[in-house]
Amino acid sequence: MARWGMVIDLDRCTGCAACEVACKSENNVAAVSVEQADMGRASSWMKVMAHVEGEFPDTTMHFYPRPCMHCDNPPCIRVCPVQATYIDDEGIVGQIYARCIGCRYCANACPYMVKYFNWYGPEWSEAERQHLNPDVSVRPAGVIEKCTFCHHRLQKAREDARAEGRELREEDYQPACVDVCPTNAIIFGDLDNPSHAVHTLKDDPRVLRLMEDLGTQPKVYYLRPRD
Amino acid sequence: MSPSRREFLWTMGAAAATVALKGAQDVFWESDESLDVGWAPGIEERRNSTCLICPSRCGIRGRLVDGRLIRINGNPLHPLSRGGLCPRGVAGVQLLYHPERLAGPLVRSGPRGSGQWETVTREQALERIAEQLGSLRAAGRPEGLALLAGYSAGTMQDLWRQFLHNFGSSNYVADEYEDGTEAVMAVMHGIDRRPSYDLDRARLVLSFGAPLFESWWSPLQAFVAFANPDAEEESGPRFVQIDTRFSRTASRAHEWVGVRPGTHAVLALGIAYVLIRDELIDADFVARHVAGFEDFVDAQGQPREGYRSLVMRNYRTEEVSAITGVPVARITALARAVAANRPAVAVCGTDVAFAPNGLLAGLAVHSINVLMGSVNRPGGVLFADDAPVGPLTSPVLDETARAGVGRGPIGTQRPVFGSGGEALRFAAAVAGAEAPIEALLLYYANPIASSTDPSVWHEALEKIPFVVSFSPFLDDTARYADVVLPDLLPYERWQDAPTPTSYPYPVWGLARPLVEPHEGAMHTGDVVLDLARRLGGSVAASLPYESFEGLLKERTRGLFAVRRGMTLGGQFEREHHRQMEERGWWLPEHTDFEAFWDELVERGGWTDLFYDHTDPYRIAQTDSGRIELMPAKLLSALAEEGSELRPYLDVATQTAADSTEFSLRLIPYRVSTLASGTLSLERWLAEQPGIFPDVLWHPWVEVAPETAHALGLSDDTLVWVVAPRGRYRARLKVFPGTAPETVCAPYGLRQPDGEPANPLRLLDSTNDPLTGLPSWSSTFVRLEQA
Ligand code: SF4
Ligand code: SF4
Ligand code: SF4
Repeated sequence: MARWGMVIDLDRCTGCAACEVACKSENNVAAVSVEQADMGRASSWMKVMAHVEGEFPDTTMHFYPRPCMHCDNPPCIRVCPVQATYIDDEGIVGQIYARCIGCRYCANACPYMVKYFNWYGPEWSEAERQHLNPDVSVRPAGVIEKCTFCHHRLQKAREDARAEGRELREEDYQPACVDVCPTNAIIFGDLDNPSHAVHTLKDDPRVLRLMEDLGTQPKVYYLRPRD
Repeated sequence: MSPSRREFLWTMGAAAATVALKGAQDVFWESDESLDVGWAPGIEERRNSTCLICPSRCGIRGRLVDGRLIRINGNPLHPLSRGGLCPRGVAGVQLLYHPERLAGPLVRSGPRGSGQWETVTREQALERIAEQLGSLRAAGRPEGLALLAGYSAGTMQDLWRQFLHNFGSSNYVADEYEDGTEAVMAVMHGIDRRPSYDLDRARLVLSFGAPLFESWWSPLQAFVAFANPDAEEESGPRFVQIDTRFSRTASRAHEWVGVRPGTHAVLALGIAYVLIRDELIDADFVARHVAGFEDFVDAQGQPREGYRSLVMRNYRTEEVSAITGVPVARITALARAVAANRPAVAVCGTDVAFAPNGLLAGLAVHSINVLMGSVNRPGGVLFADDAPVGPLTSPVLDETARAGVGRGPIGTQRPVFGSGGEALRFAAAVAGAEAPIEALLLYYANPIASSTDPSVWHEALEKIPFVVSFSPFLDDTARYADVVLPDLLPYERWQDAPTPTSYPYPVWGLARPLVEPHEGAMHTGDVVLDLARRLGGSVAASLPYESFEGLLKERTRGLFAVRRGMTLGGQFEREHHRQMEERGWWLPEHTDFEAFWDELVERGGWTDLFYDHTDPYRIAQTDSGRIELMPAKLLSALAEEGSELRPYLDVATQTAADSTEFSLRLIPYRVSTLASGTLSLERWLAEQPGIFPDVLWHPWVEVAPETAHALGLSDDTLVWVVAPRGRYRARLKVFPGTAPETVCAPYGLRQPDGEPANPLRLLDSTNDPLTGLPSWSSTFVRLEQA
């Protein structure tokens, strides 16, 4: 059984945010109005965070692309009263929109703040609907949404592999953010499969996981800057 | 009425997870005929093309479902971008399906700028334009036609030029991104071309204020060199960013050297001082290829100090340190790093060139490349070739055209070197009625939003009786047009997309329609050909092409015939080709042009990754045959102008405010997601404008914590940025990377109501008289709580 995970190299990330926009495009993440954005209600399943230290001229800044950590021990699923959020056999933490009652407990329980609530239904104009990705459902008002590791791509890749009568390969299943990154800062694969790059990288001495002490066991690993 | 939650859940359950449905606004999208997928599996296709959003011209691969463009991914075959993209490229789907796109051509029906329009057909619009242009020629005043064109390198530019020329006008006015390096190369090397930078093979990249990872010619070129995604091992060059602003580039470079505003070039000469003092320069290269290093006797027989004496006498590290604020030890270390990591290449950016003495500062920066022999060598400054596409048919000029062209371009006061600030000079000449322009065509130019002085443009537009815009959107300037004939959007049109000169190899990317073109729009290339036909006579005879697509295909025959290069291919193919060509081999892959064209279209373009380092013409084409550190042309131009400026002496911009009222230096910069500076159209990009996760949509300015403290202003306060020339509103962001006493102001943003929030409008009117480029670093402002 695969255990999907991600390694993000902070030395390579330039904070360009291509991953952020690719994620929105792949997953039909709607932009909100300016007023809503001002209230902090914009959704970005992948969000590039800047971490600034020091004062001029000894300032340093690193960028942390922050998706859902797909915790092996996710606090978000424990608090959901209707089991709308769950972890599957391969470690992907998913969200069943049809079950979600919008209580937002999970969003509060998630220490990484990567769950987004749909305060209103998505506003797609007639024209914009043309670019919606038919592989991913859009979400109605009143439900939580979050990064899925582009789970729909896994399903597709698996079908393709099955149709061709072969095993799933590492390159068959890669999320949208990984695909687009111009500096290959994000690496994705099966953490338990020795032939996948992430398997080795997760044991790199540079590895760091966010808020590990909480016991969440995130499957997103960061490679800390060398300096 | 919205359905209750229970009704809603019920519907959801019944409709299964992927069905689209609609109650009121609340719900999924409607199962709408226009979507025409009904969630049944659609026909999926992937097609290569090229991104036309910025000059980088990265390779893209569109994912289409039933003919709709769903996603834009990178094309891994493209040698510059290698499968990566920037966020603007990815957000292109929101440009294509933008709700504000014009539905069709418009003709003004009320007073100018009143917003009253009549919808017309393409035929009517074309007729109207042809009639106006025809009457100009009939009256014998073809020079009354002008074109203001944004970045359009490639066949569109060639076509426009030829059209204007045949028509009888020399008024092709460029309004595009510049970084001043063209003039530096012209002066020192005698080569009229912007430099290429071989970042991939350099071991050290010394960037003087070039926004490499943000809004440079090609951020992707810099990303690829930085991360070296093809290589197994990490072996990219070391990036050193010399910048006043702690930019994204500065933060991600291996080293950031914060210099005082306007002193980049002083630091360059400090580095040169150490290189000369410690005998670290490439003496052999200097001896063979460089003039002006030692003292010399000038054209008037006067003895003059050469570069070495000037630098050794004036740029001792202590003095440089005092001016730039960079410690002596750091200057020495930088010079040592340059010497130890060869090839090292110095890149000159807008922060250097956009200054009152930008050309002299640019010379100083580039002199490091000259001292280190980083010219025409792997990892250095190169002069790339253009892709050898076939020429257009030769121009045919009739009497009218010859007379019109003979009367020259308007706004004759040109700078001695380069063509900076051309658009604004043009507008000033028109506004001042120096020259009557009777028809103006706007092609990817929106000066009302982007210009440093929109009021001059307003005046100019008032004086021009007939204005046509080809913008697909009713942008700030199109609002003042008489006719708007919208161009097709990228992803709908054929266009060649050569990579910018910063990339050392010619890549002739091809953009092709990925989706059905919009009915209300028309390819501006086809408009030009159509107008030529309507005008008839010699104008028509010189552009005998059926369609723009046909013209592109015709020109591609040049690539087919040239016996080098390849259609885009993967890493292995690229290496293979390069190695073959290095040994003087080339194997034809096609005997048939049609097959060649088909493959070129399918793969997304053509490239030639071989560079001939043995060609001496790529070092210097000056009269002396050498790279001139003390350029004869420059010295005589300075003497003629009666200018006091002295090369390598006057390279810094004034470093302190001269008034207490306006005491903060304004540092405008381009934001990578909105680098064009005119429109922020895509909502996804408006949600990711910069590095502050809490600033979405709104314009902002950055100040240092102590500056904010001294002003009694806190983070997120709404402020007025006030300069003697004007003011605008922005949110204050307190950012510890900002230098004290400066205000860093992103350019290209708008207020949520659409009003441009353009710091360039505050700039004083200083410019570099030698290049005509505006000064971006000599304006001081104050902040007031709004
Ligand atoms: S696309 Fe890559 S480099 Fe850009 S922000 Fe995302 S992870 Fe960083
Ligand atoms: S990061 Fe948050 S949303 Fe994701 S699995 Fe962990 S707790 Fe849940
Ligand atoms: S860098 Fe320019 S050409 Fe490349 S993807 Fe971004 S906008 Fe397009």
